[in-house]
Amino acid sequence: MNPGPASALAPAVDTRPPSAIWRALGWLLWLWIALAIVGAFLWAPLAQAFIGQSSRILFFHVPMAWASFVAFLAAGVWSVLYLVRRDADHDRAAAAAVELGLLFAILATVTGSMWAKVMWHAWWNGDPRQTSIVVALVFYAAYLVLRGAVEDPELRGRLCAAYAVLGLVVAPYLYFVAPRMASFTLHPQPVVNTAAKVDVEIRMLTVLLASSLGFTALFFWVHRLRLRLLRIDARKNTRT
Amino acid sequence: MIQGGIGWVAAVNVVIWTGLFLYLLRLEAKVRDLEKEP
Repeated sequence: MNPGPASALAPAVDTRPPSAIWRALGWLLWLWIALAIVGAFLWAPLAQAFIGQSSRILFFHVPMAWASFVAFLAAGVWSVLYLVRRDADHDRAAAAAVELGLLFAILATVTGSMWAKVMWHAWWNGDPRQTSIVVALVFYAAYLVLRGAVEDPELRGRLCAAYAVLGLVVAPYLYFVAPRMASFTLHPQPVVNTAAKVDVEIRMLTVLLASSLGFTALFFWVHRLRLRLLRIDARKNTRT
Repeated sequence: MIQGGIGWVAAVNVVIWTGLFLYLLRLEAKVRDLEKEP
């Protein structure tokens, strides 16, 4: 991805490395996710009405989908900031967020498909939630296509920012509204528990929330890494 | 049926995730070196 050269009036690209605190947070994040994994496999109970151990995939599938949603929202927020301030760093941040959002959405789709094969005996079923995440993938893949199609960095920034701001409406609709509008869905209802009751079993809820938090933090950590790489690219481009 | 039990699956996951994190930490070190370049 080419961040484009800076204009003569643009501020220099800040490529100062982050403090030691960020590095320590990386290790803390690893520990958190490792504990969530151990909890998912060894502590959380299995859900009833799920075949064998398949309910454990929800502790990864749902957090991945959630992280992708957070990424797409973040891209929209950074895009708003870019349109207001015209700071190229916000444009880079938005682009990096969309890239990672797509990655997490693909992972969520793959894990969901694996679970669908176990539960519904087919990799794909045309379920409304499956369909809506594919639409989201196509929507944000088009963002990257748009980005690659425009040479001028300022025009590219404005167009992509406007597109990602539109995503602030599209993403919530596809993730939370469209799947619920269908009259029938194969997907489990939003709460999963061992006795098919409305309330969620506390251990399952604990691991699900811990895993969701971990994946969200993972997104922000990898996003920061990607953003730093984009800044280095931008700095090199200003010197050529 | 999961051969070796669920503990084995958990251990494989922890190994994979540890590998991923070590890779990311190593990548971060390389990025830090690039940032320090004049």
